[in-house]
Amino acid sequence: MPKTSNTDYDDDGLETFKRYKPRSLDELTTRTKFSKKEIQLIYQGFKQECPSGIVNEETFKHIYGQFFPFADTSSYARLVFATFDLRSSGCVTFEDFLICLSTLCRGSIEDRLRWIFTLYDTKKSGKITKDDFHVIVCAVYALLGNVASPCCDLETIREHTTTVFQRFDKSHQGYITMEDFMSFCLNDPNIIQSIDVLRTIV
Amino acid sequence: MASVAAWLPFARAAAIGWVPLAKHPLPPPPFRISRPGVLPSSPSTSTTSATTTSIGERRCDEKIILNVSGRRFECWRSTLEKYPESLLGSNEKEFFYDEDTREYFFDRDPDVFRVILNFYRTGKLHYPRHECIAAYDEELAFFGILPDIIGDCCYEDYRDRKRENTERLIDDRLHEDDDKIQPKPLSPRESMWRAFENPNTSTMASVFYYVTGFFIAVSVIANVLDTVACGPDPETGYPRSCGERFTRQFFCLDTACVMIFTVEYFLRLYAAPDRLKFVRSVMSVIDVVAIMPYYISLFMPHKGEVSGAFVTLRVFRVFRIFKFSRHSQGLRVLGYTLKSCASELGFLLFSLTMAIIIFATVMYYAEKTVVSTKFTSIPAAFWYTIVTMTTLGYGDMVPKTWAGKLVGGVCSLSGVLVIALPVPVIVSNFSRIYHQSQRADKMKAQRKARQSRIRLARNATSNAFVAAKRRHEQNLEDSNASGDKSIVNPFESQHHHLLRCLELTTDREFVEMGPDMLMSSGGGASLAAGSATAGFTNLGSRSRFLLHPRAWWCCKSRRRRKTSYKFNIERKNTNNANASGDEIDAEIGDSQLPLTINPYNSSTLSPNIIIPSQEIPYQRNSTSSLQYNVVLHSNVNEPLLPATKRFDLNLPFDTVNRTELNRKANSLMTVYEHSSMNDTGIGESASKSDTYRARSPSSVSDSTFRRTAHVQILAKDTHEAV
Repeated sequence: MPKTSNTDYDDDGLETFKRYKPRSLDELTTRTKFSKKEIQLIYQGFKQECPSGIVNEETFKHIYGQFFPFADTSSYARLVFATFDLRSSGCVTFEDFLICLSTLCRGSIEDRLRWIFTLYDTKKSGKITKDDFHVIVCAVYALLGNVASPCCDLETIREHTTTVFQRFDKSHQGYITMEDFMSFCLNDPNIIQSIDVLRTIV
Repeated sequence: MASVAAWLPFARAAAIGWVPLAKHPLPPPPFRISRPGVLPSSPSTSTTSATTTSIGERRCDEKIILNVSGRRFECWRSTLEKYPESLLGSNEKEFFYDEDTREYFFDRDPDVFRVILNFYRTGKLHYPRHECIAAYDEELAFFGILPDIIGDCCYEDYRDRKRENTERLIDDRLHEDDDKIQPKPLSPRESMWRAFENPNTSTMASVFYYVTGFFIAVSVIANVLDTVACGPDPETGYPRSCGERFTRQFFCLDTACVMIFTVEYFLRLYAAPDRLKFVRSVMSVIDVVAIMPYYISLFMPHKGEVSGAFVTLRVFRVFRIFKFSRHSQGLRVLGYTLKSCASELGFLLFSLTMAIIIFATVMYYAEKTVVSTKFTSIPAAFWYTIVTMTTLGYGDMVPKTWAGKLVGGVCSLSGVLVIALPVPVIVSNFSRIYHQSQRADKMKAQRKARQSRIRLARNATSNAFVAAKRRHEQNLEDSNASGDKSIVNPFESQHHHLLRCLELTTDREFVEMGPDMLMSSGGGASLAAGSATAGFTNLGSRSRFLLHPRAWWCCKSRRRRKTSYKFNIERKNTNNANASGDEIDAEIGDSQLPLTINPYNSSTLSPNIIIPSQEIPYQRNSTSSLQYNVVLHSNVNEPLLPATKRFDLNLPFDTVNRTELNRKANSLMTVYEHSSMNDTGIGESASKSDTYRARSPSSVSDSTFRRTAHVQILAKDTHEAV
């Protein structure tokens, strides 16, 4: 008499725990520009939010959502996630996260500008086109939610995109390369100063 | 510190991506205060010297202090290192080491931690029964322990609870999907299928449901009455059945029923999303079996010739009764139970068969000697055995010899045992499945009641919150005035600064609105903010993270997922339209906020839409005691506008009105009027036009709590620093 297996236990098998543990604290201290205390603080927050040690895009979205209420954070979160996801694996480990954060918070101005370029270059083609710009601008406006005034519509966004793109694309090539971007930004004191403004203490 | 606060540096750092887009240079950062224990921002030299000494210390066994939310646990280091894969056993715990107190601090549940630490000590992981399975799983995940290791003593319990939880989650998800408004219109085929599957969706569906049910009943009753004796046949004198007497009437009835069933079957076939699957399903087979006999009998040449087959076909008509299973959930549950208990039923059948054969054989040989025995063969003895084992005992076959009687006695006793054994398993399965299906219905009914109770609770505690907030505001004022910055929360100021940067990047400003759809909603509100999926569920009691989802998005009717607003529950303050700018009971589902005309797709930015001048109903929660009106007044230099001149929301918000609004709105103040049974004194106006306040979700002391906010619509070419 064949015994039918009890499928209940097979069905709710444990989800595969993709756990990740970063390497030692000391190693991270040497590889990034944070101090031990700062890394500890960052890790504690990281681990609380993602106990498995890995961030995915959903979590980014959720975290952004907590800072920008009433906003649709999915597009901006996706863009930022793409830059953090160094191996394009869909998961960001704590080390990746910390390294990117170190570049952003403590890196040189060139590093940061390079990061911005990567952020804008959604297709990873080495060039930023007007469409890329449009995507970014839409994402930033989406962060506002609908609680800002005056209202934002597609026209405003297109206008904004065009203005900014023209500012960068001096030679009217239709796209911006990394060198153009870097040289433009380095020559613009406003941008340099603004970037500095967002330096954060942990 | 709040864990989300730990992500603020990340959010701020990522914000440099806005810089090239910014139309205006970003404001300077808030004052830097050095928090105790944090090193200044310059990159620090790695503390290698400290590390080496600490490595040296680690060589010999030492006691480690683990401080879990205030409860201190101590253990030897070697105990923890037994399991190097987990958090406590590896270097990962160094991230939680507190230099000052020389202990490891974890902000987690101490009760569950006790269990986890016991695992390290004894090697056995237990599952405490009173813990919620989800919380327990989370703790295990945090400490890096796989639930597989749970000891045998607790493993079954854990598994059962986990299974229940998963089933409940699946149920919840299914029901959430049911509850969601279907935004896109269904094709007629899809809507027909929905009507078939769920008779509650529309009146047509329930009419259909009852009509088919009625006809099934009629058909079954007709089948039954068909055979009742109706009086003697006038010609032959033999008694005949009603079916023979009223042949034509029964035939008409049968035809009607079969036509209905046929139509129903074909409609279902047409509407089914997956026709092949439908055809193979049990219900469809039953349908076919129920109507086929009729058609076969129609096409048969003559009743008399093939009476045997015909009679068989008529028997199949009784299968129509199974069509009732679509109408009755209990029947479905029964069917499902039998299916799931197939193994127990199989065992029962097998053991019965074995016993029958054994006892029949013995009986036959025992009674063989009797002269005119009924036990003519072993198969003949089967009947006796079955009747005896099931304790029926018809008495048509009885053993006469004493050996036979002995065997008969043993047979009946064993019959009782064999049948009684698998039955409880079947019963418990049935009970579990039945209760699950009942629970789903119960939960739906309870959900509405629960939500209204939650709302009541929130309303009741809002005033306490308002008072606390005003106190905090006052503190902030004092600190600003006196220059003493120590009271200010650095996290909040950094958050404000971040929001301010966003505003400057996009040349917009965060504004407040009233629930009667002021301003930005009037402005076409075309920036579809989408559903704020800000899930604050993890915040717990972090009261610093007070979010103020005012009626800012009242203009959007979005079906929010419940999880987005759990923070409301925890902060216990969300009264709708508290005039001091507190958060509003923001669930759209609460119907406290008026709904827009057009729900916006959350992921696209729709072009400027003019809201037609309709009456937008303001549905007030009957239990809310505050009414919220936002009135635009001009600034102190202009007299207060009379009511007639105030901005009329019901006007279509086209360009004309918009310029009018712009004109009025420049250097306007927003004054909130409200009427309240518990008048908290809110409503006075103040004119502080020099302070910019960010409407930060993090700030208790946010100026948006002030009764007035300086609302400035920045013109695009001029920028006034606020």
